[in-house]
Amino acid sequence: MPFGELDRPALARALAQLAEGPDDLVDAFLERVEVVELPAANEPAGIRLRREEGLAVRLCRGDKCWLASRDRLDAEAFVDAVRQVARVYPRTAAAPPPQLVRPWGGLPATAELQAFPRRLDRALRERRVAFPYRLHLRRHRRELQVATPHLNPAAERESWYSYRVELQWGRLGGLLVELGDEAAEAVAGRLADAFRVREASPPESVTTNVVLAPDSTVTLLHEAVAHALEADTLAEVGAPEAARGVRLSEARLDVLDDPGGAPHAVRRRTDDEGTPVVPRWLLRGGVVDQPLADQRWARRLGGLQPGAGRRESRHRLPAPRSSYLRLLPGEGTLDELVAQAGDGLYLAEPSRGRLDAQSGDFTLAFAHGRRIRGGALHEPVGPCRIAGRFADLLGKVGAIGGKVVPAGAGWCAKGGQRLPVWGAAPELLLGGIEVLS
Amino acid sequence: MKEVTAAKGVKAEEHAEAVLAALVRAGLPEAEVYLKEGRSRRLALGLAGAEHQVLVEEGWSVRAGDRRAAFFAAGTGRPEPQGPWPAPQGFPSPLPDPSPVVRWTDPPDLDSPLLTELEAQALLNAVAEALAAELPGATLVEAVLEDGSSASTLASSHGIRARWRHRVAWARLVAALPESAPAGAALGAPVRATVEQGAREARRLQPRALARALADRLAVRARGDLPGRETGDVVLAPAVAARLLAALLPLLVGLEARERAAPLVDRAGRIGSAQLSIVDDGRLPNGLLAAAVDGEGVPTRAVPLVEGGLYRQPLLAWWQARGLGNGAGSGNGPARVASGCSARPSFRDLPRPGPTHLFVRPQEGVRPAMLVGDLARGCYLLDVDGPGHFDLAGDRFALPVCGFQLDAGAARRPLAGGWLTGSIGALLRGVAGVARDLAFFPLGGMIGSPTLRVTGLEVRPGE
Repeated sequence: MPFGELDRPALARALAQLAEGPDDLVDAFLERVEVVELPAANEPAGIRLRREEGLAVRLCRGDKCWLASRDRLDAEAFVDAVRQVARVYPRTAAAPPPQLVRPWGGLPATAELQAFPRRLDRALRERRVAFPYRLHLRRHRRELQVATPHLNPAAERESWYSYRVELQWGRLGGLLVELGDEAAEAVAGRLADAFRVREASPPESVTTNVVLAPDSTVTLLHEAVAHALEADTLAEVGAPEAARGVRLSEARLDVLDDPGGAPHAVRRRTDDEGTPVVPRWLLRGGVVDQPLADQRWARRLGGLQPGAGRRESRHRLPAPRSSYLRLLPGEGTLDELVAQAGDGLYLAEPSRGRLDAQSGDFTLAFAHGRRIRGGALHEPVGPCRIAGRFADLLGKVGAIGGKVVPAGAGWCAKGGQRLPVWGAAPELLLGGIEVLS
Repeated sequence: MKEVTAAKGVKAEEHAEAVLAALVRAGLPEAEVYLKEGRSRRLALGLAGAEHQVLVEEGWSVRAGDRRAAFFAAGTGRPEPQGPWPAPQGFPSPLPDPSPVVRWTDPPDLDSPLLTELEAQALLNAVAEALAAELPGATLVEAVLEDGSSASTLASSHGIRARWRHRVAWARLVAALPESAPAGAALGAPVRATVEQGAREARRLQPRALARALADRLAVRARGDLPGRETGDVVLAPAVAARLLAALLPLLVGLEARERAAPLVDRAGRIGSAQLSIVDDGRLPNGLLAAAVDGEGVPTRAVPLVEGGLYRQPLLAWWQARGLGNGAGSGNGPARVASGCSARPSFRDLPRPGPTHLFVRPQEGVRPAMLVGDLARGCYLLDVDGPGHFDLAGDRFALPVCGFQLDAGAARRPLAGGWLTGSIGALLRGVAGVARDLAFFPLGGMIGSPTLRVTGLEVRPGE
């Protein structure tokens, strides 16, 4: 870990000078990020490496917040940031910590990145499909250390991969926690499905039953539950603390945000404010239990639990966001849910979701799906979207599948901050959903 | 080249030279070093309270290799001349050769100090007060004011040496009117309006003008009716015209633009009305992104893309124009076709071509009111209500809008919840009047337009 020899007491003493009272929130955020990119074939600069490090010092007092951020990770930058945030000049300047981070070291290994395109090609050949595509791959590594006057949590480390595939008929992308054969199979499966349905016509606009694959389920829950229950989103439309106890679904929807239960490579013990994370029940039996809150919102409102503060980088303030969404299983296989649907659509490839916090309107677009007729899956259908009020949509959950799988990993952009999000869910049956072509 | 250590206090140009020399010595003859420093202040007001941020940015990027392969590396702080550098792989990253730069003088306000915390707060408070005075009950629910400056340094083994600075302030304001409901929306939802404006220096932003713009939009959305099918001429405010132009960028920018535009171009080479001229100008006087060179050190210039309705050429970077012996017309070689239009959104990014200031050329002497005055019946469209849908291949578009129904040159009633629809060809050929009030908006580059009068489109209640 690059922060191994950090003089934590020195950091804490320097930060303590910023606080004038027990309600002041003071912290330092030290960050180191490495991104290695393998661009598509025929693009210039066949390997792209970015290494960043920097820090931010924050003071929150009442309803005001000050942040000073720097693109250096040294004592001088830290002292400068502290001085900039301080509301009064400290009586005595605390000695800056002598060293904040170890040097970078040598160049990163890239073997697994270089090998993945061949793995993917092999997996596609095994599926008996062939088409031109352009693959962009990135490996992301992030190490961070939060320090406060009172608390010095352990450093955190995350590592994941992102990919983007450009096809003649569109594009798709996603996130992975590893780049082995299993990942290649998953990506190849998505590409092969997209290839086979590329000329399918969109379904007619209709109100019908819909079975969502796990990826689609997580995306729906991310938009319709997680975003809707972020404290800042709730504050736009009312009192966040009043959301607790509201029933959103008659179905036994148990949805948690559980950063500590995420896949190992992205698992967290603390959030980006250094607050310990706990499994947070967003919905318990369809009823709102605990909205997502960071330190600022938890302090403003009381009754909300912090620990969901996330930030894209040192240059952005933390805000409430989910990390790893889990929907607990119900009963039934995919075949049973499809049989229960009778007629409708099976939607497996979500492309984009959007929640309008003001109106509660929600849309979720899909790249393709399959028609359900007579309780069985039939021909493919092209792009479509479902729309409605998010609370109404959740009220139409008819059944929850019995097998939870990792699903729905992707980028979430809100308020200009782009963050990776992860999930696990089974299939979901929704009855009487408006589908638009 | 003389070796200079990467010590603090070493000027950026000297440091770039030191890194460049080290790269060439390391067997990387095709090398470019880019350094950027910046400082910005950001004030955000919202439900979470007031957030004051000061951001100091310092980053670099290097692309280097030979004629067969290259790497790209980027980081914060300054690069160490000795690396370590990744091994070049894949395809080379071509670098431009130096070209003469037309004489350039930095705007004097580049050196003005950033807004202080108190000044930023006072400016947003002034907007909120002016808004309440313009439209009682209206409140500023979100506001972001950013004021920043940056300096970039570029040195390449091809001999390019360039330095440029930017100074940009930007305000994004969201206002709400609680008691009203927009046409077609559920009752109880507040009406909202968003206005964005940029200036070289934040002190030039005018609180009253910003408040008036917010109030106008709120009032229209609150009191507007759904339109019927309105088929008269439409007069497009700059915000609407610029959004339409931004959606048409695939027809104007890049190697495939000409092919995409081809179905809309007639045999005489005409894509729009004689009133329509579209230009990209990286050194536009008073332009927020104006500089003598682009992100690769290639000189910027004004490039006519559409001139008097004739499709001249797409916007192309120097490497896209290579091999185009006759890209824009007879006698035009690559140098004539290419433009300094490669931008670096940040030090983290490879330079990529795109518009800097791309706009409909205004018509001097034509006030916006003159486009409305003789209009028997039509619409004046003030603002856009969403992203809209644009099918370039299918030659159709639909854009949600709000504004006023016009009758005998005067506003008759406000309209809200409507859609401007039609064919893209009709939009371009239907430009019947161009005013002088050019305004720019951040839409993937600074995209601008004055007020336009257009025939052949329709405003309707639904998409």
